[in-house]
Amino acid sequence: MVVEQVVLIIAGALALVSALGVVVMPNAIYSALMLLLNLISLATMFLLLHAQFMFAAQLVVYAGAILVLFLFVVTLLNPQGENILRDKHRLQQAGAISLGLVMACLLVGALLYAFTSGTQPVLAADVTSVGSTYGTVESFGKALFTQFLLPFELTSLVLLVALIGAVVLGKRK
Amino acid sequence: MSSITIAMVVSALVFTIGACGVLLRRNPLVQFMSIELMLNAVNLAFISFGGASGSAEGQVFMLMVLTVAAAEAVVGLGIIVAMFRRRRRMDVDDVKVMEG
Repeated sequence: MVVEQVVLIIAGALALVSALGVVVMPNAIYSALMLLLNLISLATMFLLLHAQFMFAAQLVVYAGAILVLFLFVVTLLNPQGENILRDKHRLQQAGAISLGLVMACLLVGALLYAFTSGTQPVLAADVTSVGSTYGTVESFGKALFTQFLLPFELTSLVLLVALIGAVVLGKRK
Repeated sequence: MSSITIAMVVSALVFTIGACGVLLRRNPLVQFMSIELMLNAVNLAFISFGGASGSAEGQVFMLMVLTVAAAEAVVGLGIIVAMFRRRRRMDVDDVKVMEG
């Protein structure tokens, strides 16, 4: 248990550092690579929370497909670097940073208050027990194709709309 | 500190960093990556609360978020490429008219 917690904390710290890297890196390529690090550390956290299938889906869909698309577009457009320290929108930047700090304090404060005043949530017993099917493809697929069949079918509509949209946008005039 | 608490705090902080990224950066590509950060933070919250309740709902909703993120990346990057084709600059402030 202790090892799991230590790895979880390390993955969380890595996720935070790489998320900051996405925002402050001057070059969009570095931002994309930092995003890759962030996705991998979040996938590690999913694995430690016993969601094995989601760990694999995160790596395949996000790190495999979406990020490659990002890198493709970044290298295709080759945008020149921007230095956010020498930006002329000083007031807007100060406002964004102070509002971000307020939001972080509010969210973390509310979470810690809720988790320390009431009962602290822990992973359910049937999740952590040996031989549990939580997080496997079997239990996930059972829920997806029985209880959540309608939302699952509706996602295909979302994908179809995105497909048509991409073709229309990519068409040369 | 339970693992759920750690995961939720990380999720809240990553979400905040993503929101700040959207506000701070002028490059639409990096703004897009910040939106992906926010979606991922929400995924982490779904997974950790799903683990606390022991049911598969959290994972099912994460799959929905994953689908929406993929669709959004395709359409958004298409818009960015079309934008770049018209004016060779990458700045969201340049886009003021919504006409193709």
